[in-house]
Amino acid sequence: MLTKLALTGFKNRWRDYLVLFSGLIMSSAIFYMFEALATNHDFLKQNTGISMVGIIFQFGSVLLTIITLVYISYANSFLLSMRKRDYGLFMLVGARKSKIGQLIWLETLLVGVVATVIGIIFGTALTAGISRLLISSMDLTLHHLSAWYLPAAGITLLLYVGLFLLAGLFNLVTLTKTPALKLLHSNDQPNRPRLKPARQLLEIIVGLIAIAIGYWSMAHLDTLQLAGIGIALVTIVLGTYFLFNAIFVWLMVGLKRLPFAQRGLNSFTLSQLSFRIRNYTKMLSIVAMLFALALGAITVGMGFHAQTPKLAASSNAYDMGIVNATTAEKQQVTALKPTTNVTYHFKTDKKAVYYQATEFDQHPFTTINMQGKNQLNFKRKTNDAKQLSKSPASYQLSQLQASQSQNKANVFLSAKDYQKLAQPEHSLTVFATNDVTQHLPALKRLAKVQGQRDHGLVDNMLGGRYGNYVMINGMYSGLEFMGLFLGIAFLAMLASCLMFKILSGADADKHRYAMLDKIGTTHQQLRGAINKEIAVLFILPGIVGVIHVLFGLQMFKFLMVVSPYTGIWLPFVIFAGLYLLYYLLTVTIYRRIVLQ
Amino acid sequence: MTTPIMTVSDLHKTYGKAGTKQYEALKGIDFSVQPGEFVGIMGASGSGKTTLLNMLATLDQPTSGEVTIHQQPITHLKGNQLADFRAKEIGFIFQDFNLLETMTAYENIALPLTLQKVPAKKIRPAVENVATQLGIQDFLTNYPNELSGGQKQRVAAARALINEPAMLFGDEPTGALDSKSARELLDLFTKINHDQNVSILLVTHDPFSASYCQRILFIKDGRIGQELRRGEMNRSDFYQQILDNLGTFEQ
Ligand SMILES: Nc1ncnc2c1ncn2[C@@H]1O[C@H](COP(=O)(O)OP(=O)(O)O)[C@@H](O)[C@H]1O
Ligand SMILES: [Mg+2]
Repeated sequence: MLTKLALTGFKNRWRDYLVLFSGLIMSSAIFYMFEALATNHDFLKQNTGISMVGIIFQFGSVLLTIITLVYISYANSFLLSMRKRDYGLFMLVGARKSKIGQLIWLETLLVGVVATVIGIIFGTALTAGISRLLISSMDLTLHHLSAWYLPAAGITLLLYVGLFLLAGLFNLVTLTKTPALKLLHSNDQPNRPRLKPARQLLEIIVGLIAIAIGYWSMAHLDTLQLAGIGIALVTIVLGTYFLFNAIFVWLMVGLKRLPFAQRGLNSFTLSQLSFRIRNYTKMLSIVAMLFALALGAITVGMGFHAQTPKLAASSNAYDMGIVNATTAEKQQVTALKPTTNVTYHFKTDKKAVYYQATEFDQHPFTTINMQGKNQLNFKRKTNDAKQLSKSPASYQLSQLQASQSQNKANVFLSAKDYQKLAQPEHSLTVFATNDVTQHLPALKRLAKVQGQRDHGLVDNMLGGRYGNYVMINGMYSGLEFMGLFLGIAFLAMLASCLMFKILSGADADKHRYAMLDKIGTTHQQLRGAINKEIAVLFILPGIVGVIHVLFGLQMFKFLMVVSPYTGIWLPFVIFAGLYLLYYLLTVTIYRRIVLQ
Repeated sequence: MTTPIMTVSDLHKTYGKAGTKQYEALKGIDFSVQPGEFVGIMGASGSGKTTLLNMLATLDQPTSGEVTIHQQPITHLKGNQLADFRAKEIGFIFQDFNLLETMTAYENIALPLTLQKVPAKKIRPAVENVATQLGIQDFLTNYPNELSGGQKQRVAAARALINEPAMLFGDEPTGALDSKSARELLDLFTKINHDQNVSILLVTHDPFSASYCQRILFIKDGRIGQELRRGEMNRSDFYQQILDNLGTFEQ
């Protein structure tokens, strides 16, 4: 009988359960995605070569666990608020408390386990899909990545089931200790937003100091080492929370006093927001952190990606050298519309490669000369035969040679001396295109044909810009992948947190919008109010998140050759686009629930 | 006779879609209300009072028949016209107050004005004026959950009246109040009706509330069965007459 009642309650509120389930599935899927990288030591070791990465992942795990804790406590209170009335009714009709306790506990656990198992499966699929997408679109090489990773699944299940056991216990105690009548009428009461200037000023000061410490320690990772990351995590999370707590109240109370609040539904929107202040500050702080993590990870991932061709370009002025290029190969090179395309002739013995000086005087060879410490700060220099023979950068010519000639000396002879040499003559075609990354498939084909002629010419012997690009890309692929993968995972988590929080309140808002409709509010006004309310909830953590990222990128100036701030607009624009999509999606779903 | 402020002609309402189980809640209602009249609609629970009021107040659409307010047909109003009409021409008070618990009493009362984009400067005097009439000027900064039932209902009344509507509708507005608060609210209605000439349509099943009206329509099984006029009678006599009438009407 009771089970049947419990099931009818379930049927009546399927929409709420849908929100609850999709939120929990998303959260566990993302936790699994993260753990699939974090617990896979082979993957981390093989793909980064930076020992710190493993530890960064451990900090990430801790942070994600804290976020999960808050998330589940929200989900649970949502579940509880849905069921309070039903269970109150059961008690009124005389159900035994022990029986009801059992039901609640079972329901909580069931919801948790089902959502987690689906989440892990979903997470595996997401990991497979996203990694395939990233690998192919970013031209990455990765080793030891597997979408299904048992330890990750184990940890996810353990954490979630553990937390739901606790949540079930909590629900059991709350519901059975509360009198039936109180359960029936336990609609959440507004908490009056109060200005307590002294306390809020203190919160702002403490918050700012905490965040300043966090920013400072991120910028000084070279001296603080790992402790810096730990300090930054704790201080920034706390600081963000205090700031939101104080500023949100002030903002709402302050705005209400302006004439702006007296227009249309603005006073309603402000009231809605301040009504939820307490509820929202925790979530907004988390969202701001997730926003920063997601945006930061994507920015760093794209930063590594962007720096690869730049580094490759700093190593040689030519894309590739081809020894004894066939007519077909020469045609292929011409098809690339090279900016330079020169063929030098040479003869070689065991010690040296002999070129004709006149060829270099006619077609000088460009070298790249370093200026100071920074690898990307270089000058291009054209060299005739005499200059090149003295240049310390003449190795750049050797790099373009066949594999067995790369360690030989370069000698530039007069036409007469060259003629005297008995060895057969070969040719070396060197060329440069406008941008290696735009011609990767064609360059790959050329390299492959050469490799068939010259078996020593494996990838790391290919000395031009293309060869360097391949090598550096291999080195950075792991970092790029992690950055982008985690960025996407955090972004999904963020959306799921924010959407869940907003949508779980939608049911309670329904009657408010119905009431507004009855007193003559137009539908445009209602829609406008919804758009504004949700926009505020998206924008506030967005602003804070962007500030966090701008400071957080300081951490990477030790890992990256290019400044982590170069080309930053691109990830920011992409991120803003995705964030906007989330906003629109949330508004649409919310509107559907609230305006029928 | 003056032109009526509201006319209701041959109003029908059938619940349930064609083909499913249908229930005819209103079976042809005709009556009219004169400007400044205080009319009561009485009937047993389930007789169709709320259904009727919802049609009159544009909250629901009738299956057939027409309602006019100020000579304007209202049953087919839609979208912004409907919203405008609700905001300007009518006010409602419900049994369960229907206040926004996230807003203070002041903000609740001001809402219809802000919706109509009334300049901010004019809002405060208007709210204070109506609040004083209803005796709630001291509670304006309170939230609904900090007010008693009677106070809440007066806030709801203030919100309904602030746009100076032509008609005020009440669906059992005293239903959730204790008898003292109910009496105070009804006295206020009488005063507003008298001083401002607002027409009031009050739905109730309670004879005491009904005794404040000038005219009572009795509804039974979706039809108006009977009509009582108070005329020059004092309230307690009228109350007695209502009780007697209910005895015969409801048997
Ligand atoms: N939305 C609805 N769908 C179907 N039947 C309804 C609906 N609303 C009311 N009814 C039925 O119409 C009749 C009149 O209801 P109502 O107007 O609420 O009565 P009153 O307010 O006089 O108590 C009742 O029998 C009720 O069951
Ligand atoms: Mg009713």
